[in-house]
Amino acid sequence: MKNYILKRVLISVFTLLVITLVLFCLLQLMPGSPFNDEKLTDDQRTVLYEKYGLDDPVPVQFVRYVGNMLKGDFGVSYNISKNTPISQLIQSRLPISIKVGGMAVTLGAVVGLLLGVIAALNHNTIIDSICTAISVLGVSVPSYVFALGLSYLLGFRFKIFPMLYTANEPFMSSVLPSIALSMFTMASIARFTRNEMLEVLGSEFMLLAESKGVTGAPLILRHALRNALIPIITVLAPLIVDLMTGSLVVEKIFSIPGVGSLLVTAIQSNDYNVVIALSFIYSAMYIGIMLVVDILYGIIDPRIRVTGEGGRPGFFARWRMVLFGKKKGVKA
Amino acid sequence: MNLWKRMGAAALAGALALSLVACGGGNTSSAGSTAGGSSTGGEATGSNVLNVMVEVEVASLDPQLATDGTSFEVIADFTDGLMQMDAEGQAVEALAESYEVSEDGCTYTFHIREDANWSNGDPVTANDFVFAWQRAADPATASEYSYMMSDIGQIKNAAEIIAGEKDKSELGVTAVDEKTLKVELNVPVPYFLSLMYFPTFYPVNQAFYESLAEGTFGTSPETVLSNGAFILESYEPAALSFSLVKNPDYYNADSIQLDGLNYQVVKDSQQAFMSYQNGDLDIVKLSGDQVDQVQGDPELSVHGAGYLWYLTLNQAEVPALANQNMRLALTHAIDRVSIVEDVVKDGSLATYTAVPPQFATGPDGSDFSADQEMFKDVCSDDPAKAAEYFEAAKEELGQDTFTFELLVEDTTESQNVAAVIQEQIQTNLPGVTVNITVEPKKQRVEDIQEGNYEVCLTRWGPDYADPMTYLNMWITDNNNNYGKWSNPEYDQIIADCTTGQYVGDAEARWAALYDAEKIIMDEAVIVPVYTKADANMIKSNVSGIEFHPVALNRVFKNATKG
Repeated sequence: MKNYILKRVLISVFTLLVITLVLFCLLQLMPGSPFNDEKLTDDQRTVLYEKYGLDDPVPVQFVRYVGNMLKGDFGVSYNISKNTPISQLIQSRLPISIKVGGMAVTLGAVVGLLLGVIAALNHNTIIDSICTAISVLGVSVPSYVFALGLSYLLGFRFKIFPMLYTANEPFMSSVLPSIALSMFTMASIARFTRNEMLEVLGSEFMLLAESKGVTGAPLILRHALRNALIPIITVLAPLIVDLMTGSLVVEKIFSIPGVGSLLVTAIQSNDYNVVIALSFIYSAMYIGIMLVVDILYGIIDPRIRVTGEGGRPGFFARWRMVLFGKKKGVKA
Repeated sequence: MNLWKRMGAAALAGALALSLVACGGGNTSSAGSTAGGSSTGGEATGSNVLNVMVEVEVASLDPQLATDGTSFEVIADFTDGLMQMDAEGQAVEALAESYEVSEDGCTYTFHIREDANWSNGDPVTANDFVFAWQRAADPATASEYSYMMSDIGQIKNAAEIIAGEKDKSELGVTAVDEKTLKVELNVPVPYFLSLMYFPTFYPVNQAFYESLAEGTFGTSPETVLSNGAFILESYEPAALSFSLVKNPDYYNADSIQLDGLNYQVVKDSQQAFMSYQNGDLDIVKLSGDQVDQVQGDPELSVHGAGYLWYLTLNQAEVPALANQNMRLALTHAIDRVSIVEDVVKDGSLATYTAVPPQFATGPDGSDFSADQEMFKDVCSDDPAKAAEYFEAAKEELGQDTFTFELLVEDTTESQNVAAVIQEQIQTNLPGVTVNITVEPKKQRVEDIQEGNYEVCLTRWGPDYADPMTYLNMWITDNNNNYGKWSNPEYDQIIADCTTGQYVGDAEARWAALYDAEKIIMDEAVIVPVYTKADANMIKSNVSGIEFHPVALNRVFKNATKG
């Protein structure tokens, strides 16, 4: 088990480093520079490039950047907030994004599970159809449409929640964006739970459990739902990541002072350091989530723990299969 | 059925528990932030506080580093310069109680008000200006607006200091005594007083600045001082909401009606408008489509923003565009009226002059470009004339078909305007094909600066209230002369008006500026299209907000709400 975790952690760190390099190269390809402004002359641009070290060759910039980053220095912002250290910009914003995202995941997972279970237990009835319809809507309608709709209905028409984020009411201001963000998670979980539940409910061990006299809630909760939950963990992880991307637009709509809205502004204004730092944080979060999922698998599925591989393939193993075919190192 | 009831009860209990947890969490965090005195988003309260929408974050509260309209507006909320704008945009005394100009127009002496103080109690002194202006010129500061000191303000030695040839202490600005500031210029600058309300020229308290850790000036309410109508109450870098309260120690505090200002950054125009209708905001900026919806509403208020949108034609790289008749054909082929009325729709003005109207007034007090028919012989919406010029161009160039690439940035408005221009040119000049290329703004600007384009829809906003802020662009080798057009006669007129024979004679200079503009129009160096307007909705109980196309787009210190 230790080896397994160690290996996963090392791969994660290496992946992050590669991502940073790729990001750095991609930024060089971004159109324009941070200082392409009508009012700036060539001379002034030269001064600014020198000041921020942007006139050095890219490899030099990269080594310097990674060196500074290891010391916790992500550089300063060029445009959004001139000369402000990125760490300072992100410090107050990250908790807000995590809070809204966390509320959305919790809401989406709980409601999704309930809907899925209800649908499965009422298989092929009108209730099932309603739950399915909600799922289809949730999966197919983008979160910003929900955001605008909710904002209009509950914010503008009924004035229950603020339409724009206010620091005085952090919870009330987070409700609408959380609901908008949670729709996709909720719908996906609901669909998945329904299918898994149906599969489990029709399995032989459920028949066995029932014949042993287990009935009612214990039957559903302990035997059916618990078994159905395992694959749901798999989908939850990528859903959290989807949620992070959804937050880019939703934060903009509700004027939430989080990192999502900051990233959008940074990309539009070529604020290199902000883009790199935030993309790095998003990647780190993504990889971190995947790492936790892989480790959880190791705990849930003993086959993985013993061999280090095999059983249900982990996240990286799955990608390896996609990229290099099934043979390499993956036991069927 | 029994199972059902149990499931339902369990679900209900779960939901309740969850909502309790969630509410509990919310309450604690809000209580925590109140108790902790969070420095962002705290709101000035009371009905006499103006709730203002802005579209972008403040980029910097450092007056010598700020370059954008939002930053300027907020800096001016809590900082006064030597001069300020009155409601009509004329420069009137602010921190300066009085001033004298020497006979040759090259020395200004400002007397600073005795009752002007910083919010920490320090008096505002002449040295605060010396310190700030030296910072602006110091190459180490890398101030993007340093040219306001040199090329535009013509302050003695500024150009040399910016170029690194002289020390910043040699800047032509000195503190004669605590409250007297002397400024020496290379040549008389007729609009010099109007520069004094431009934030680059605002003072900074040296002792306070030097007491702060490096790089922290202007990043929080604790790291700025106010000498103006309001005091920064809550702010952090790139904040989406922040607030200011009335400064009780402001020298003119009695005339300030508002108790404070709450700023809210809203990037989604639909959300902004709904928040306005909801009563959360007192003033919002509208998009063109929204203006269409509220036409005739008494709360709609349209003001010139000074920006000229024009087509620049790359004469250096495209032989067909080096042909004057071709350029004249293009300028006549466009229907500017339909562009502002059917596409932009926010009150922007169709423009037929190289210097847009509404921002520069001459010695006689009239708008430089009030007469939009001044150049109607060479610039008008006239397909028949366009066809004539086009025939001549075809003959001179010896070809019948032309293809031009029209470069535009990726905003909705620019793309819509470009589509109409494309259609108008192709219809009115049969044989011309216009292909539109859309790029992000930074890329578009880089491309035209490097001459890597054919035709581009670009813009320029005035930096100061004088036609020179436009006309100076088209001298040979200017960075913003994107078309690489050159005319020695034109260069001479501009030189005469900047440093030469006309500098001391306001009326002769004004006449010469018209001569210069005429050359631009006669040769169709650029194709002016429209002058941008800002359309705002302002609550009917709010009055006194002043709008200006130059330097400070909005001034709130004389606003009232009640």
